[in-house]
Amino acid sequence: MRICTRFLCLFAFISTAWLSPSAFSSGFPTDFAVDPSVVNLTLEPKVVVNSGKLEWVPFSRDLTPWVSLSYADKRPAAKPRQVKLVEPLQGDPVRGRALAMARDKGYCIVCHQLPGEQWAGTVGALLLSFKKHKYPDELVFQQIFDSRVFNPISVMPPYGTFGILNEQEIRDLVAYLQSLD
Amino acid sequence: MKLTFPLLLLLVVASQPATSATAPYREFDPMEDYLPHVKGDMSLSGSYKHWKDPANLDWRMAGSPDENWKLNWKFMDPPFNASVHGGHFAADRGEEIFHELNRKVGRFGKFAICLGARKGNLKGLRSQYPMYRKDLKRVAGLEEVIEHCAAKEGRELQNGSYDNSAVSVYVASQSTGMPIKINVTANGPLKAAYERGRKVFHARAGRINLACSSCHTYQIGLHLRGTVVTSPYGDVAHYPVYRTRYQLQSLHLRFVECNLATRTQPLKPGSQAYTDIEVFLTGLTNGYPVSVPSERD
Repeated sequence: MRICTRFLCLFAFISTAWLSPSAFSSGFPTDFAVDPSVVNLTLEPKVVVNSGKLEWVPFSRDLTPWVSLSYADKRPAAKPRQVKLVEPLQGDPVRGRALAMARDKGYCIVCHQLPGEQWAGTVGALLLSFKKHKYPDELVFQQIFDSRVFNPISVMPPYGTFGILNEQEIRDLVAYLQSLD
Repeated sequence: MKLTFPLLLLLVVASQPATSATAPYREFDPMEDYLPHVKGDMSLSGSYKHWKDPANLDWRMAGSPDENWKLNWKFMDPPFNASVHGGHFAADRGEEIFHELNRKVGRFGKFAICLGARKGNLKGLRSQYPMYRKDLKRVAGLEEVIEHCAAKEGRELQNGSYDNSAVSVYVASQSTGMPIKINVTANGPLKAAYERGRKVFHARAGRINLACSSCHTYQIGLHLRGTVVTSPYGDVAHYPVYRTRYQLQSLHLRFVECNLATRTQPLKPGSQAYTDIEVFLTGLTNGYPVSVPSERD
């Protein structure tokens, strides 16, 4: 591990303690759409024509570990976190590009324009010719890991702090972005 | 004593119950000073100028994904949308159920009276929802009240179910064209719900740490992949809406869809947080005509 190992482990442990289902001492809030008997817990609704019952089916992933909008959900969100990138970068730009397109990983394309891809989002900054900005790897790494360090109201997901991407995946993304001529 | 790593870990874990008594750490987007009327959109997305005068809609805008959101999808609403769609079938189904439930006690139907219809007349009822319900002791949306009143008549119409939304479409269709009119500025439960809803609208949540406002306030008109972010003004007047993918979708089921799309644990229809967001969005929609039955893609 290149980032301070102890603090990462400590953070992972605290995150698990705070954000796991056991964080609810007496079961899930009553307004959660969950079924404790299914693997993913989270449910999605299925409207059945000409029926007075609303069906619920398992959703493709468990969303209970993260804070919700329920008033009964008193779990804290993860605070912004500054990290130090230890060089060398050792990222794989090919893997990075795949992560940038993957729905359940980076999915950068939903907000950012990237070369060779149509229907890109326009919410985020242009990433075409990213290399020309000559941003240090450490800055790009921090931006992806947790951009709230630079901008407290950033809408960019804190990929590292929230555990969406691991350290190597963020290194791959940095390598991909730094390769864009 | 030397603080070893395991000991440090133990101390942190042991200290957690003490911190749980305080307010949890949460993040909020900066809150705009929203005007609780559709013309407030002029200072947000500015799309209001394109649809405030229905007689002068520029229909050419409807054909462009970058432009059609500026019309607030009015071209898919009655009376502009003349096609027969699933919303009309829902209205028929809702009418049928409504009359089955609306037994006459004295001069007026009991179900309609329970919904809040003065003298049993549904005209204008939809434009007053959500409202404070003395019997429920809280502010409730129309679908929650339909579930409540149907249960009193011995019929299960779960909030979010097709039949519940169908009755809601039928009831709302009796107010089509009438402007939404809820008072969220006078002190009372509705104003309190509006303020709570405004806060929830700006509360960050979920796996990717987004609030409703992260997109629907600051990114309106921009692309998220193939979709274009819309204004929060005016939209709720179309619900429940026929959608090709979801059959009939109530507003709270739309919130569920938003939550799932932003990887946030969804809540059940009728939950207080969803009702508060509904009140907030309905407050912003004051002045916009009820537009039901309508369809969306």
